[in-house]
Amino acid sequence: MRRVIHKLFWIWQLEKEQAWINEMASHGYSLEHAGRLTFEFEETEPNKYIYKEIFLKGGGESAENLKYFKFLEEMGIKVVCYINYPGTCWVYTRALKEEYPDGIELYSDIDSKINYQKVMAGYLIFVIAFTLFAALLNTSIVVSSLLRNNMLMTLNLICAILMLALCVASVIAAVKAFIKIGNLKKERKIHE
Amino acid sequence: MPQLALTEAVFYILLSLQKPLHGYGIIQNVGELSHGRVKLAAGTLYGALNSLVEKGWIDALPENPESRKKEYVITQNGLAVLKEELARLSELVDNGKRILGGN
Repeated sequence: MRRVIHKLFWIWQLEKEQAWINEMASHGYSLEHAGRLTFEFEETEPNKYIYKEIFLKGGGESAENLKYFKFLEEMGIKVVCYINYPGTCWVYTRALKEEYPDGIELYSDIDSKINYQKVMAGYLIFVIAFTLFAALLNTSIVVSSLLRNNMLMTLNLICAILMLALCVASVIAAVKAFIKIGNLKKERKIHE
Repeated sequence: MPQLALTEAVFYILLSLQKPLHGYGIIQNVGELSHGRVKLAAGTLYGALNSLVEKGWIDALPENPESRKKEYVITQNGLAVLKEELARLSELVDNGKRILGGN
């Protein structure tokens, strides 16, 4: 039986989303498809699959990523679906829990962990730039209409506040990613 | 110029590819060789294989139509690099044993 759940996760909540999807799988609801706000689950035996979300450069249908997906499939890691964002894609993968009892770990060395954080940070910087621009644009509309016509543009004000909140959250997430990169680089000076 | 140290993952991948193996075979082989200590993750292995093909240290063989899995094998260049690394590691081990007095 299919079960559809609508839920919103922000771009920096990848780990939270993944934990939720794995919890659903542990209760016998295995993710079959994900949209930006929609998650479709199929009823299976509990703990059949373990899920892992990854963030990749380029669209999900790019030749480079298709090659990577095929390679993962050879390892028993199947791509369930992906969502494209400008310049990147968010990929939902799964494997049989009996084959990956400790979860799917895609990176076993420091360099590839650093690379992964860099892709994430790069995308967050794009989000920061976009939201900051949108927030400033809406703020200037609100201010100029207040000054000129003494009119409050409520919609623009809401938009400006939302974009600013999104921007702040992205900054926090980006800082976290850079701290992770810094720690990994420190570690790499001693360990491989 | 002396060769830079290889990563543990690359050393074990090159060692595994004395005979043609596909990705999953490499992971299993490395696990067996290291008695389960080194667990190569799929993403790391993928990146390493692509870099090694680019460097000409391994070759990607034409896809096996039955299994549809890509196999890789070490090249002469790769073998030379591996031997040089083995000599470097031997030096480390010999010095370690000599100074610490192990066997």
